Amino acid sequence: MQWVVATAAFLASAVEFVEAFTIVLVVGVTVNWRSALLGALAAAATLALLVATLGTAIVQWVPLDVLRTVIGTLLLLFGLKWLKNAIMRYAGLKARHDEEAIYEETRAQLRARGAVDASASRFDLFGFLLSYKSVLLEGLEVAFIVITFGLSAATSTVSRSSGIASAALGALAAGLLVILVGALVRVPLAKVPENTLKFVVGIMLTTFGTFWTGEGFGVAWPLSDVFLLILAAIYLGAAFSLIVWLKRVKQQQRAQVIENQSAPTTVQTQEVNP
Amino acid sequence: MKIIKAIYNFIVGDMIILIGVALAVAVLALVNNVSALAPLRGFSGPFLIIAVLSSLVATLSREAFSPNR
Repeated sequence: MQWVVATAAFLASAVEFVEAFTIVLVVGVTVNWRSALLGALAAAATLALLVATLGTAIVQWVPLDVLRTVIGTLLLLFGLKWLKNAIMRYAGLKARHDEEAIYEETRAQLRARGAVDASASRFDLFGFLLSYKSVLLEGLEVAFIVITFGLSAATSTVSRSSGIASAALGALAAGLLVILVGALVRVPLAKVPENTLKFVVGIMLTTFGTFWTGEGFGVAWPLSDVFLLILAAIYLGAAFSLIVWLKRVKQQQRAQVIENQSAPTTVQTQEVNP
Repeated sequence: MKIIKAIYNFIVGDMIILIGVALAVAVLALVNNVSALAPLRGFSGPFLIIAVLSSLVATLSREAFSPNR
């Protein structure tokens, strides 16, 4: 079991599963649970098939150095995207993900379509497809992380398979946890610290992406694998500095807008009272 | 075209990050394969880290100072 790989997959999957769970919950409550669960199960099966076939094919056919360069680069792109969005949310430049708002919005759309009663147990194609699409789209990012992270964390063909297995187990644990908590509370999981999870995963993906891309190009990192911790500390420090800087920029911009708005009023007041 | 855009949005969705990382990888490939640039190979690691951080700073600056915000 590779714990770093499993943890990264767990955290990334938890975020995505919470998002998918919200839609499945709406479909379950508004259309019916049969269609919602069938859609979610069909999407989970599609994703498992994708990980199994793509993972196995890549393990068998692609040389390790090429794999590390390509997958390291993909992880860098993916990690920077997550990190950028998390930093922007912390700095207030982007709205935080609101599961309750998404829940109400989707519910209103379904009600407008006429699907109101969840007590009917007959299969509803629209509900099935909505559930399938949301789980598949959110799960694709998880599948991507499971495959790339699982493959790159290892050094030989045998342990490459074990890397994928560790990542898949991490993702499975996150999925089960979200389903369990969701089944117990039956409301959108709004209290999950999604942005913090995305931030941590962004740092992890960027760190491993840099490390493996470097290794693919023959970089001999000082202290070998321990350098991963140093890299993570560098990116963490940079991310915190960027959040502080962006918050200041936003405050300055807001102050400038207020100043611009109040400026004509002051002039008018002076004209009235010379 | 729609498929390419969907893949782009799925993987990165940000042109500055894409160009920054692609440039860094291209430079590393050159340094690694051209023998005249062999003395620079020792700087590949620090260069990659700086390129990644620069891409992040550049894309966040664009977001912060965008006139559309």
